[in-house]
Amino acid sequence: MSADPRRAAIDRQVLEWMREPRWSYNEKRFEELALELFAFQFEHCEIYRRFCTGRSQTPQNVKTWRQIPAVPTSALKEVELHCFPASEIAHRFRTSGTSTDIRGTLYLDTLELYESSLLPTFRRFMFPELLLPEDRAAIRVLAPSPVEQPDSSLSHMFGVVLGALGGPGSDFDVEKGELLFDRVLTVLVESAASEVPIALCGTAFAFVHLIDHMNQRGVLIGLPSASRIMETGGFKGRSREIPRTELYAELKRVLGIPAERIVNQYGMTELGSQFYDSVIRGPSEPRRKLGPPWARVVIVDPETGHEAATGQVGSIVVVDLANTGSVLALRTGDLGRAILDGFEVIGREPGAEARGCSIGADEILDRTSP
Amino acid sequence: MTSDEIAENFARLRIAGERLKRRPIGEVLDVLGAVLDRWRDPDSIWRRDLEDRLPAATGFTAPMVAEGLRRALGHWTSDALRELANRELGPIDALDGGSNRRVSGFDTTAVLLAGSIPMPSLLALIAPLALRSPVLAKAASRDPLTPHLVAQSIAEADPELGRCIRVVDFPAADGDCTRALLEADCICATGSDATIAAVQSQARPPRRLIVDGHRLSIAAVVAPEDAACRSQLAERLAIDVALWDQLGCLSPIAVFAVGPEPARAAALGEAIAVALANAETNWPRGTVDAATAHAVAQQRAEAEFRRAAGHAVAIHASAATAWTVIVEDSPKARPAPLHRFIRVVPIPDPAQLLDAIRPLAPHLAAVAIEGFGEETVGVARALAQLGASRVCAPGSLQSPPLDWRHAGRGVLAPLARMSDIETIR
Repeated sequence: MSADPRRAAIDRQVLEWMREPRWSYNEKRFEELALELFAFQFEHCEIYRRFCTGRSQTPQNVKTWRQIPAVPTSALKEVELHCFPASEIAHRFRTSGTSTDIRGTLYLDTLELYESSLLPTFRRFMFPELLLPEDRAAIRVLAPSPVEQPDSSLSHMFGVVLGALGGPGSDFDVEKGELLFDRVLTVLVESAASEVPIALCGTAFAFVHLIDHMNQRGVLIGLPSASRIMETGGFKGRSREIPRTELYAELKRVLGIPAERIVNQYGMTELGSQFYDSVIRGPSEPRRKLGPPWARVVIVDPETGHEAATGQVGSIVVVDLANTGSVLALRTGDLGRAILDGFEVIGREPGAEARGCSIGADEILDRTSP
Repeated sequence: MTSDEIAENFARLRIAGERLKRRPIGEVLDVLGAVLDRWRDPDSIWRRDLEDRLPAATGFTAPMVAEGLRRALGHWTSDALRELANRELGPIDALDGGSNRRVSGFDTTAVLLAGSIPMPSLLALIAPLALRSPVLAKAASRDPLTPHLVAQSIAEADPELGRCIRVVDFPAADGDCTRALLEADCICATGSDATIAAVQSQARPPRRLIVDGHRLSIAAVVAPEDAACRSQLAERLAIDVALWDQLGCLSPIAVFAVGPEPARAAALGEAIAVALANAETNWPRGTVDAATAHAVAQQRAEAEFRRAAGHAVAIHASAATAWTVIVEDSPKARPAPLHRFIRVVPIPDPAQLLDAIRPLAPHLAAVAIEGFGEETVGVARALAQLGASRVCAPGSLQSPPLDWRHAGRGVLAPLARMSDIETIR
């Protein structure tokens, strides 16, 4: 809990919401908390205050959570942003990236909200059938443990998930930067033989590695039908990328897990909450990203800065009450589109032909990096 | 389009090419020069047709297309074509005989076009023909119009020459058609890194392979103290940015403002903003997709945040994403979303200019410079040494001469086969 009494009061209300067994997407409750948190962050984070006043947006004239000025996530690569004294920084999560990338950092004085947000959300969208607190599942994580990568929010998340939901046979399968193929395959074969379903979690690229390895060895495994996959992250800085539809088709072919049981998680270091594909919770509904009641997404028309029309592609802005120590409103680098009560993430079409013969300096920087 | 149809096109082109080889090169240049003159004439049916139809095909606005063509084609004359040939190939009269040097084109040339800016397509199609090499061109998906019009204009001027050029349309992902096209004896390809890599891996040697990846340009100026001079410079820089919506390799992505007073760079940025607002009135920017608008909005928001964090960053921008000027406070390289998004980067000391530009050097096309006084020649030479294939004045970036050595090489010479016949006793 925060040392600041005003923020501690906000933390308590948010934590209370996170700990309720039945989720309620109460708009009024979200509005009040979001505006209260915005006012607090405006007051306690000088940079954010200047950012807001530069836009003539203050707690006095921001009337709804949709109007809260959103900080671009990329800006966190250059600026240390928190609304508590630097002396109280207890954790630093750094964004992933190649060695040549500048990495963004999320500064936290407490992990309580972060952990309290991630767990019920993961459970709801990955294991809706685990109804009792003591229910457990076999979970293998194709990512390093938090001990090995303490500054990775993803590893931390998986650590919390394994601690709370991981049953017998759950473990991390990346050590010293290497995916332990033999160990993973042994576990998968055992799962298939024993008919005990398994959940595989990891980065999309880790799954590409696993598929490549299984293809090289000519291994196909039919996992039990209740097995599932959670994959997250993109391919930036990787030697190879494949479209998600192709990745899912390959996962079905080598592991027997159909797309309907593969969940993409949309999260980022800068966010305390995550969003998940709806497919396991609502298999008959359109695939879309859903999140917890204390985190909302608005799709913004980048031309106008206003909320995009239904179905229109726009910038994804997240307002997350779990971010009490930094800023709650973040403008992500992603494009998306609203679908029903959720959204989908739309990447720029890979290989799309440029209209001219010029090139963005970001691409050049990518190319000229050693 | 199928790979068999492409092979049939090649067969027809080879037959037409045999007749072309027998024509004097001077005669062919005269025909192509006349074609260029027609394209330069704003009242010609070809130019009018292109101006009418290019906006719908590419998303550019009609006023911008008209102004871009006016400025770009102004110097592309029949005389300029002859001078180009003379300079790169040698005296024209001597090329067909009476000289110890023989110059010829390849039996076939394939041209893979990219992007939506028409002038590179025009020149890419004319150049092989000038060497009497028949051309099979693949139109860019972003501009399916220009190459067809160019081919038609050549056929109208000279039906026999018209039989030496064919334009095909097929998706870039069509591997069979691409492989068939790469059977040409000479291949000219423009495009992204991925396109170039694919062409290089698929073209079977021995073949002449001429490839061009994407490039960029910049401006480096000493910002004037005088407000009127500053406005005038800003107007010319704004033209360079606005034409072709900053999507050409001759479009500057940044203005490096050299001088010890940051206030002058800031004032120049402000003046460029005024000029870009005027440009938007005269030659509005074309349509952009959501990803482009998102990139512009993201970069604006990042700049706002840097300003909030205490950096001396100024942001001048239209209400929507039509144009943006960011005055930075450091030469750190940052993303360039293009589509009329320009950064003004202050460089306190001229000695630091080259260091600031160096990260861009491998991709540098042209640099517009002004205000260096007696140092102008030295600065220009240093920029050329760094890799710029063209150093020019602001306001003229989008009007390259016909003989601009794009990518540092010639226009015709790379497509030519040259033979020197020595004296044999």
